[in-house]
Amino acid sequence: MDHVDINRLKTGEVNLGTSIMAVQFEGGVVIGADSRTTTGSYIANRVTDKLTYVHDRIYCCRSGSAADTQAVADIVHYALQMYSQTAGEPPTVHHAASVFQKLCYENKDQLTAGIIVAGWDKEVGPSVYNIPLGGGLFRQPWAIGGSGSTYVYGYCDATYRDGWGRDECINFVKNTLALAMSRDGSSGGVIRMCVITEEKVERLFVPGDELPRFWEGREVLGEAVPKKQPVGEAGIGLVPMAVEA
Amino acid sequence: MPDMVSLAQPQQRQFNPYADNGGTILAIAGADFTVIAGDTRQSEGYSIQTRYAPKVFRLTDRAVLAVNGFAADGNMFVKKVRQRLEWYRHAHAKDMPLRAIARLIQTMLYARRFFPFYVYNILGGIEEDGSGAVYSFDPVGSYEREACRAAGAAQSLVQPFLDNQIYFKNQVPAPGMAHPVHLPLSTVLSLVIDSFTSATERHIEVGDGLEMYVVLAKGSTAIQSLSTVRGIQEMTVTEDGERVFVIRRELKKD
Amino acid sequence: MASVYSPPGFNFSNEIRNNFLLEKGLPLPKATSTGTTIVGCLFKDGIVLGADTRATEGPIVADKNCEKIHYITENIRCCGAGTAADTEFTTALISSNMELHALSTGRKPRVVTAMTMLKQMLYRYQGHVGAALVLGGVDATGPHLFTIHPHGSTDKLPYVTMGSGSLAAMAVFESGWRADMSRDEALNLVKAAISAGIFNDLGSGSNVDACIITATHTELLRNVEMPNQRVEKERKYAFRRGTTAWKNQTVRDLIVKEELTTVGAGPGEAMDTT
Repeated sequence: MDHVDINRLKTGEVNLGTSIMAVQFEGGVVIGADSRTTTGSYIANRVTDKLTYVHDRIYCCRSGSAADTQAVADIVHYALQMYSQTAGEPPTVHHAASVFQKLCYENKDQLTAGIIVAGWDKEVGPSVYNIPLGGGLFRQPWAIGGSGSTYVYGYCDATYRDGWGRDECINFVKNTLALAMSRDGSSGGVIRMCVITEEKVERLFVPGDELPRFWEGREVLGEAVPKKQPVGEAGIGLVPMAVEA
Repeated sequence: MPDMVSLAQPQQRQFNPYADNGGTILAIAGADFTVIAGDTRQSEGYSIQTRYAPKVFRLTDRAVLAVNGFAADGNMFVKKVRQRLEWYRHAHAKDMPLRAIARLIQTMLYARRFFPFYVYNILGGIEEDGSGAVYSFDPVGSYEREACRAAGAAQSLVQPFLDNQIYFKNQVPAPGMAHPVHLPLSTVLSLVIDSFTSATERHIEVGDGLEMYVVLAKGSTAIQSLSTVRGIQEMTVTEDGERVFVIRRELKKD
Repeated sequence: MASVYSPPGFNFSNEIRNNFLLEKGLPLPKATSTGTTIVGCLFKDGIVLGADTRATEGPIVADKNCEKIHYITENIRCCGAGTAADTEFTTALISSNMELHALSTGRKPRVVTAMTMLKQMLYRYQGHVGAALVLGGVDATGPHLFTIHPHGSTDKLPYVTMGSGSLAAMAVFESGWRADMSRDEALNLVKAAISAGIFNDLGSGSNVDACIITATHTELLRNVEMPNQRVEKERKYAFRRGTTAWKNQTVRDLIVKEELTTVGAGPGEAMDTT
């Protein structure tokens, strides 16, 4: 059967290789993303902001083609501005997600865009919507996306608990993204996060040298040997496995 | 959705053992001398691998070989030719004559007819009769003796210039005059330098450095015009025979 | 009768024919590409833009001293890499629209306006308009620097590079850029970045152009560095008169002599020209 090739990227197109994530909690949502944008193997931007404003309490996390997702986000931003002016009230997250979904579904043969929409509204409070590549729309308590997400589904399933508070969600997002970035070559840089509540949108930033660290293979690779000290004396460090002693 | 067909086409992937490393070579034969030259830039795509990679090699005191195309094949080919020339020296107690080297190169190239050395060769030197000679080859061994030849990236820029200045193509001589058959060494060196400075200006793969080898026949009078040349270096190994010199010049590095 | 209507924008009437020819094995003519190094850099008082001046057609240098820093408005300039014609026309079109926009709003033009116009146009053409741009300027909201990729994505950064020499130039920026540099420090860094492209990237070459934009002033420094001057040729190549062969010769007198005879015209019969 003929099928739509939705994984294609035009040659030379800028790619948001990406690890993105959103989690809802009692009073709001935490969203997060890495900061890497690539063209092939070249990092075109190492401090990208993939958490994009579409309305006062609604943000989206972008993955896929940079051009496609920026264009879609710009259109939604405009649509929500028009809506709030005509309706005289802010749009719901579901409304915003529906506009995204309409664009992504109806233009699925032209777009490479995987988007997570998250925010707070007065109808349902916090909510997270996932719009994967084909243009589906799924409400989830937490969502991950982008090339890096495939590495951390297991971690998320094993770790996530209902009823977490703000700080637990922030840690969950931070740890998940750090793990995804360490395994996925197209993800990396810094972690950017947003906490969206009724009161405010708070931006959080984790520098690249302060990311949470997990297993780094010291048992097999050996401890890093300080340069000045002579190797082999007093049994400093193991012999790295890769080197045949 | 009848028009939504898969864009995926069957794909074949294969290892490509060849690369094009750019650069240009050139040789001009005079009456009793030959000049063989090449730039020293080695590149792949838009990157410079090195600014000094010789493409011109002294084989004997009367033969110099310039190789251009895929650098790895070029270096290996020169190595193999030199080995064959050494075996010849051990067997016959003399250097192989130029026309014999030319025929050797042909057989060595054709031996790899179905996995060729991706290299354009130009052999220059002095024949046994003392005349300057240039032999040019294609990658699978077709060759001919000529008075001048350019090869490589800027061949299409340099060869028409040489045809005009060496063979006097498209030039009508002054009434009662005739074009010279052989040019003096000083003129040839000037033409070679101008060929390379011009190719450097208009071809992105040519530049960095220029190496010109001069082979003089035994007792050649062209030696006089070499005495004034800046930075010339003699490469001759044997006594009282043909002599080999090398002249190096800078080229633009952008 | 053929229609005289021509729609605005690009003309696609040859597309079907060209695709047919392409299938038959006739390649499209090669467009001049500015295989380029272009950069931009933020400093204390504004923006410095930089570009090399080589234009190529495949491996051949088409122009040794072309201009790649294009005018958008007095306080906004744009460096172009990619297909030369695309960068030229895209920037000219947006420059024109920015002028009209400024006239209709009565406000000074902003960099984001130009950036949005450019990205929306490039996105509409889905990468077929091959313009890779570095857009910089100073407006009422401060200094701004953007890169715009051919498919229409944009990035806002304090220092940016584009074109085939972008990796060489970015290496210089990543090691040398600091926040709040002075005008001269920034200009020197831009010169070093472009030079890295000129000498290490075969697609870039010749001279350095720079443009310094501050809140009050825009200064275009055409050919600030010329590290690749042409060397003098060893010989003169003037040809003797009569070098070119000819088959026949005709000499024509370009001065035409005519004899005029005035017939029956008196002063009373002059034409009525009232």
